[in-house]
Amino acid sequence: MSDERETRLLMISPASRLTPEMLARTIHSMGVDVALKETCYGCLIEGRREAVLEVTRRARGLQGNSVFSKRRAYRMGDPVRCRAQHGTRPGFSQLESEWVALPYIEAGLDAIDRGEKYKKIPAKEKLPVDKLIEICEVKL
Amino acid sequence: MTIKIAQLSCGTEYSSVQYEIEKAARSVGAKVVYPDVSAVDVENAVERFGFRPRSNQLKLMIARAVQLADGNYAADAVFITTCFRCAEAALVRNEIRRFIQENTNLPVVTYSFTERLKASQLLTRMEALVTIVTRKELLARERQAGITAGLDSGSSTTKAVIMQDNKIIGKAWTPSHNVVESATFVLNEALAQAGLEYKDIEAMGTTGYGRFTLGEHFKDKVKLIQEELTVNSKGAVWLADRQRGEATIIDIGGMDNKAITVRDGIPDNFTMGGVCAGASGRFLEMTSRRLKIDVTQLGALADKGNWRNAKMNSYCSVFGIQDLVTTLGDGKSFEDVAAAACHSVAEQVYEQQLQEIDVRHPIIQVGGTSLISGLVTAVGEVLGEKPIVPADSQFIGAVGGALLSSGFL
Amino acid sequence: MKVFIDPPNSLILFDLVERFGHEPLSTMAALQERIDNIEVDMPPMNVTLDDVVRGLKYAGIEVPSGVRGRLAVWGPMIEEADAAIIVDDPPFSFGCVGCERSELMVKYLIKRRGIPMLRVPYPNSEEEGKVFVGQVKEFLEGLQ
Repeated sequence: MSDERETRLLMISPASRLTPEMLARTIHSMGVDVALKETCYGCLIEGRREAVLEVTRRARGLQGNSVFSKRRAYRMGDPVRCRAQHGTRPGFSQLESEWVALPYIEAGLDAIDRGEKYKKIPAKEKLPVDKLIEICEVKL
Repeated sequence: MTIKIAQLSCGTEYSSVQYEIEKAARSVGAKVVYPDVSAVDVENAVERFGFRPRSNQLKLMIARAVQLADGNYAADAVFITTCFRCAEAALVRNEIRRFIQENTNLPVVTYSFTERLKASQLLTRMEALVTIVTRKELLARERQAGITAGLDSGSSTTKAVIMQDNKIIGKAWTPSHNVVESATFVLNEALAQAGLEYKDIEAMGTTGYGRFTLGEHFKDKVKLIQEELTVNSKGAVWLADRQRGEATIIDIGGMDNKAITVRDGIPDNFTMGGVCAGASGRFLEMTSRRLKIDVTQLGALADKGNWRNAKMNSYCSVFGIQDLVTTLGDGKSFEDVAAAACHSVAEQVYEQQLQEIDVRHPIIQVGGTSLISGLVTAVGEVLGEKPIVPADSQFIGAVGGALLSSGFL
Repeated sequence: MKVFIDPPNSLILFDLVERFGHEPLSTMAALQERIDNIEVDMPPMNVTLDDVVRGLKYAGIEVPSGVRGRLAVWGPMIEEADAAIIVDDPPFSFGCVGCERSELMVKYLIKRRGIPMLRVPYPNSEEEGKVFVGQVKEFLEGLQ
């Protein structure tokens, strides 16, 4: 794994009141040496691994649990990944879908912070065939 | 103008072929693009399309196709490609191809790749897509004018024709060896037949594998250097006098096969196969050698035989020849074996090429192999309709070159 | 500990594994190694013919190239992993995880390694989200 460069995306949960602009401003004010680009979902940061990890850790602590992060293989502004160059890459839909689910994860993290215990939800079983037959016969 | 080719694909980036696809597109002045879709579009598109694949990348392909069909994304042509040997993707690939054709006027080409794909293998297909987009006016040309020549430098044979005032006045062919020498030889032969000299030629068109070399060598005359898919289809509809309406052109070549659908003489879909020698003219040459006859005699021999007596079910020329040896060893007649070889090639063209296009009628069979009557019979049997074989059907490429180059006069 | 995540490009899993103190093994890291290798020029991802051939370790030649290429990227990570978390039936699995056959093989390879593994259903509500995060946290904290 490369210790030299790390690029990350920081994504804000849609349930959050935090805006990409606020996030970017806060990161700037941290005074850590990372490059930053504001995006529609949050921002992209790039720099030495330790610096990027520090910013990520501090960003995760902003406004409850509403900032999420993952690494990105490509450098910031890499034309290979740039949407404007050739249309969206497949990973775009992936991020979009995960973004929608972030409030559920945020709720989970908040519950842990409140010390709540989770209760497993039993999986739905398929209706046994004899039960189905019974229902059909009653209907007839 | 950069032509935008929309790529609908699965597996290219993980098969080390995406770079090759983009390289092929760039080399013909085109650019690969991906129609924009959002996650919501994907679900809606799959619902509307009606085919729900398990693999999400295939769903994304469907969504991108829907964006093109709805005109939400502007592209000039479509390239649909998935991994060779993936059944799920093969089903989706073909249905998307049909969907695009039913809902847009964009030229489409489909391809199933292996990790060994190189840009050069895609070059002809990409070039044809670009030609169809950029040279619509030229491709609409129906009459030859002036004195023009066409050179077709193929993998097995090299052909030349001289045309004047919409008539062929000289033609010649020879087995291909050195590209320039073979072409010079046939050109001189055709000129002699026409009673003309090189200086009389007003324009020349080159096609086939050696087209660029010939274009450079005869650069004082050459006005058109163009891939064989569009050139051959023009030659075919001119020779068969089917310039209006629809048709399917089948060209079983020495190294690869082409199946092209045309509307008013302009190709709108094509497939080109080249992975397997068992489905090409080369297999018939090998069969002839084993039967110790000239390939020109194979067709008549096959017409006297019955393929059902000597079945060959091989996908590959090596296995095909093994089948052939075994069948001869069993004491089957040469006639039956010749018929079986023709049937095997026809069947494989059907299985490998014609599954990827919607066959339109009439079917015009062209190229050197269309002179092998047994093969034409076999193609007719497999397709349930006897193909039209126009006179001079082996000269399609050269005729197309002469016809289209006259558009520059 | 090194935790393989499946889908291997998931933002949610990557984030949670890191948040709870472990190292996520992801597609992004595996691809960055390739992209940063200046000796290879096969954009967009620098997955090369050699990679696809290396994929033969996991699947035979009759398996499509896209499956072998994917397994060549993920296989070594599964071999390196101390544990794994799998999300079942995620509505998101595009791009690199877009091939169902490769996905089936990944789950099988994890199972065969015999490392601690958590399978969690994808959450579709806040309530399910609490169970999801709770299970992931419990699993990660239990890793020695």
